[in-house]
Amino acid sequence: MSAAPERSYVLFPLGKKRFALPAETVAELARPDHLQTFPHRTPLLAGVLVRRGRIVPVCDVAQVLLGPDAPPRKFYLIAQRQGESRQEWTAIPVTGECELATLAQVPPEGTQPAYVTGMLEAGDETITVVDLEKLIAVEAKS
Amino acid sequence: MKDQSQLPQPGSHEGVILFTVGGFKFAIAAGSVKEIRGTGGLQEIKVKGNVAQMEKLRFILERDGATYFVVDAQRYFHLAKSAPGRVLILSDSPTALLVDSTDRMTDISALHALPRAFTQEERSWYRGLAVVDGEVVPVVNHDSLLSKGEQEVLRAGLDRLRDVSAV
Repeated sequence: MSAAPERSYVLFPLGKKRFALPAETVAELARPDHLQTFPHRTPLLAGVLVRRGRIVPVCDVAQVLLGPDAPPRKFYLIAQRQGESRQEWTAIPVTGECELATLAQVPPEGTQPAYVTGMLEAGDETITVVDLEKLIAVEAKS
Repeated sequence: MKDQSQLPQPGSHEGVILFTVGGFKFAIAAGSVKEIRGTGGLQEIKVKGNVAQMEKLRFILERDGATYFVVDAQRYFHLAKSAPGRVLILSDSPTALLVDSTDRMTDISALHALPRAFTQEERSWYRGLAVVDGEVVPVVNHDSLLSKGEQEVLRAGLDRLRDVSAV
């Protein structure tokens, strides 16, 4: 198994596990804000936040990554999603402080969901790198 | 590349009517509403077939020689509860919307595109999102309440009903 060159990742906690997003996709870590809701039918979407004049959808990926027993989320990690015609911020509720780390990604072992793009090894800890676009798409299709 | 969710859409500076259904606040273009009235005069639809299959439709309203098909906002938005009290009669359409209450008219300075993270029915329900007094309010797409095809089906059903009752 060969490691890719080192890159910067934002490591975010969900319960006892940590996951990672490429740092260049992360805009900010925000404190709990006023979540606003309105009727819709899209799974995972908890509502929207207003951040710096933008309306940011809140996508609760913990339901996919951990299941229904995910602990309460404390912060919002705001990441950019790149669509076909435009990019968009999406807030992901996380359960604690995030960490910026420069690590080498290795390919995922065995059969993993399509949203897992690789793994990071930080000491004894193995951290799953996720593709946010694919992660959200998984739930949208199901 | 600009984030288009931040950009006002063309024609976004407009008057809207704020209304509530099931505890949620919505907006609808003021220019699309001809009249706001109470629920008096609503006639429950008691027919079978295509009309009955339109779950969102509960009533018709006869007004000034015209028949309006009344879409129940609670059913349309799949809400658990509502307390209907007002009817918004649309202009240029035989459609009305049954809502809980109307709040007020206001101007919105920008219509934000619905974030593309929203992928389901809401993409047709809403023209976009507005921020009113710091609160995000979806702006209802009045054209999608009852499609042209649905209107045709309803008109045909209504004509059949009248033919039967005239015999």
